[in-house]
Amino acid sequence: MPMRTALAVALLVFTAGVAPVAAHHGWSGYDSTKELTLTGTIKESGYEHPHGHVRLEVPGKIWLVVLAPPTRMESRGLSASKLRIGNKATVVGYPHRSNEEEMRAERITVDGATVELR
Amino acid sequence: MTPAGSGWTGWLEATAAATAMRQSLWLYPIVEILHIIGFVVLVGSAAMFDLRLLGLSRQLPVTGMERHLLTWARASVLLIVPTGGLMFIAHANEFAGNPAFRLKLLFLVLAALNAALFHLRPFRQVAGWDQGTRAPLAARVAACLSLVLWTGVIACGRLLAYF
Repeated sequence: MPMRTALAVALLVFTAGVAPVAAHHGWSGYDSTKELTLTGTIKESGYEHPHGHVRLEVPGKIWLVVLAPPTRMESRGLSASKLRIGNKATVVGYPHRSNEEEMRAERITVDGATVELR
Repeated sequence: MTPAGSGWTGWLEATAAATAMRQSLWLYPIVEILHIIGFVVLVGSAAMFDLRLLGLSRQLPVTGMERHLLTWARASVLLIVPTGGLMFIAHANEFAGNPAFRLKLLFLVLAALNAALFHLRPFRQVAGWDQGTRAPLAARVAACLSLVLWTGVIACGRLLAYF
């Protein structure tokens, strides 16, 4: 393939229809200068790879809270049953830099126990 | 993240294999480890062969290195592709829209084309430069491209998690 065609294809593939699905894995996507403490009710939870999550309802807003890999949560005593819908949870973490509904939790307190997630 | 995909990516995310990848405690990390072992063999073999083409260890016959290294490189694809596919379907929608993933696929295609062209062109005349001499320019260019493209594939693969 001639170089110019290759470059054109590269540009096209790279830019075409990049869906607005922000991925969010490293901590660098979150603003650690703005620590948040949220207490609310779990509306949804996923004990899934690569990172678990809960949707936490606080007054006026539902946050998507990104947690840790299930293997880590399990080994630190945060079993899937603790993230059950309707349970209360408090999370401390940082808001996503561009998605204002999302935060990543440094730790979570649920059923009276605090678990570090990093 | 929770699958949010519709269409073909949503269908993939709903398969039993994709669900197991997300929910089984150890499957995902095991698949990641196998994927890494696979591409270490693939890229490692390719890189050692490329360095020979670029003039290192000229006393070693290119044909012998090709037989040994590239046999392993081809075999490793059997480990890499299924494991990569499993990771992809777990979060197909997110990956399909991820610019690092798209660029990785592009680099993969270019790396495969480069390898195919190398075998179709300069390698056909390898008898003339098998040992103790400089490889032709086309072979050296292919070696450089291979090193750059595979580095790009690995970089994009790692950067998937950051976009």
